[in-house]
Amino acid sequence: MDWDQLELNPRITAAVRRAKLKSVREVMCVSGPDLQGLTGLSRSDIQQLLTAVAAACRRHPPVPALLLQRGQCPRLESGLRLSVGCPVLDELLRGGLPVGGVTELSGESGAGKTQLALQLCLSVQYPPQHGGLNSGAVYICTEDSFPIRRLQQLIRDQSRLRSDVPPDLISRLQFSDRVYIEHTADLESLQVCLSRRVPLLLARGLVRLLVVDSVAALFRSEFQAADWLERTKQLLTFSSTLHHLSLEFTTPVLLINQVTDVFDSSDDSLGPMSSNVSPALGLAWANQVTVRLMMRRLQVTVARGDQCSALRRLEVVFAPHLARDGRDAAVWREGVRGVTDCTRIQQSH
Amino acid sequence: MQRPVYSLDLSPGLRLKLVRAGFRFTADLLDLQPAQLNAEAGLSQQEALEVLQSVRSERGGDEGGSLTALELLQKEEEDLRNIVTFCSQLDSILGGGLPVGKTTEICGAPGVGKTQLCLQLAVDVQVPQCFGGVGGQVIYIDTEGGFMLQRVVDIAAAAVRHCSLLVEDDEQRVAMETFTMETILSNMFLVRCHDYVELLAELHLLPDFLSEHPSVRLLVIDSVAFPFRRHFDELSQRTRLLNGLAQQLITMATSREIAVVITNQMTTQLRGSQSQLVPALGENWGHAPTTRLLLYWAGPQRLAAIFKSAGHMDSTVQYQITSEGFRDADQSEQPQRKRPRTHSIQSAASQRDSSC
Repeated sequence: MDWDQLELNPRITAAVRRAKLKSVREVMCVSGPDLQGLTGLSRSDIQQLLTAVAAACRRHPPVPALLLQRGQCPRLESGLRLSVGCPVLDELLRGGLPVGGVTELSGESGAGKTQLALQLCLSVQYPPQHGGLNSGAVYICTEDSFPIRRLQQLIRDQSRLRSDVPPDLISRLQFSDRVYIEHTADLESLQVCLSRRVPLLLARGLVRLLVVDSVAALFRSEFQAADWLERTKQLLTFSSTLHHLSLEFTTPVLLINQVTDVFDSSDDSLGPMSSNVSPALGLAWANQVTVRLMMRRLQVTVARGDQCSALRRLEVVFAPHLARDGRDAAVWREGVRGVTDCTRIQQSH
Repeated sequence: MQRPVYSLDLSPGLRLKLVRAGFRFTADLLDLQPAQLNAEAGLSQQEALEVLQSVRSERGGDEGGSLTALELLQKEEEDLRNIVTFCSQLDSILGGGLPVGKTTEICGAPGVGKTQLCLQLAVDVQVPQCFGGVGGQVIYIDTEGGFMLQRVVDIAAAAVRHCSLLVEDDEQRVAMETFTMETILSNMFLVRCHDYVELLAELHLLPDFLSEHPSVRLLVIDSVAFPFRRHFDELSQRTRLLNGLAQQLITMATSREIAVVITNQMTTQLRGSQSQLVPALGENWGHAPTTRLLLYWAGPQRLAAIFKSAGHMDSTVQYQITSEGFRDADQSEQPQRKRPRTHSIQSAASQRDSSC
């Protein structure tokens, strides 16, 4: 730490150096009397020191929300949302995923979580006027191998899904070149990936969406019940890294989570549930999530032309800006789409 | 009142010197000159000056603080109004709204409505005085990323609409001209803190900001738990920092006459083979807020309960989150939904009139 950068009397900076204090953050965490003991400075000197150090630690002074609304503080509020690529689902999410914060999508296997995640990896590549962020995506697989064939199929059928976008724009986008795939089989390699490669991609502007599919796989398999405390600690470190990346690079983070069966239906601490499953990893993890979405597979099949699909439901469990609500959706060849009443008329069963 | 010397906010070495020289209570130091203290306790001129300043400032504080209970009651009734929420049942268990000059903690599981209540209060604090509000500004410290402008705009628009329906006299008509979306947003100061060090830094600088903005009546920290529940290898350091933070918040609430609202997460506590949900950050932290408000789910209903408060009986009410914000739950015995809200703001206003 270069203490001369602070606007302080040289006498004070000299005392701080003598006390072997390493950084402004360290000073901030020592109490006033202890600082006096360490540096031998007087009380008023310590006050000056603390004020200078606090000013160096904070990112910005309080900003009126009006400036945010006028778009004058893009770092605090960009006003951007990452569109899902379907107007029905975007309406549910009020435009799409928020760019600052961690969104969790949980559901049983086959509910369509990965389908939606893949779709977001493509929609992020569109320019902002079409709901994208004009950048690529990084997709971290922890469970299965990346469904590359399905991604190719989605890319081929983009013009069908995104009839709102001019076809020549779609044909110009090099979709598959801008999806970066990482495989991490254990926690350690995930940490390495999140602390080295992902920040590099984000800093270069190559990606502006981070997907982890799935979080539960790592934390469930690596820890026994007895390692409960260690697991919580690792979970908090992991979520702290994700929040940091999301805020630092104003990037949406999507985490896919598994579900666990709920045997004890009296435990309703997280609100009424629409099914007998709840997202895995418990309360310690739920506290870390900004937006919680769930996907369910319903016992109904819908048909459209020669295709048919199981009906799904995408639900908002909680989010600071969204109501508890849901929309029906189906997975077609071109991607996940909300099902409106007019499509359901074609129901075949 | 006899105050021991070792309780002064001085460095340990200095306190030791004073005690060794035979000074036990601050009263012993009060009439001394720096030079005398210099000679008697072997302090340097600088140290002696510091000790005396510290003694006198503490004493000054004592004088300001020594009110009779009656005076205090009158003071509370006159200056310190409550921030009326738009949920009349919550107001009634809080004793007329969120108390200004006190710290209130909102605890609850994720998604139950903590941030919604914070955002609602950040708008409510700005309700003009002629509508029974306090007409103040707000500082909102967001540590979780839950401050979504989209949602603030929803809640502010609903509040403006609601007050405009209540206009009865000219004073209120004039007040409505400045109670608009634009002014609500310009009176809301946002700070985003990414970790606990940034939060501590912000709180250290806040008194200066409050001096520049004397009409701030509400400080929201959503949440304290989020930055403080990670990164700590040593829990003792966390406890120490949290104690300091609690002290700062209480001082700010009382000396600046602002309402301080902080949110806290819930955690699972194992008691034998039973597990139960308790507020995070430990037992010690529980002493910091004046009032603790617990939000929780009971089946499909959202409930709010006061569970630590010196001034209120423990009580529970139902609420709901609507597109407009934090509101009373629908009640079948009441035919209209808008009635209780209207009633709440007006009754709070009439209560205030009668007490003046």
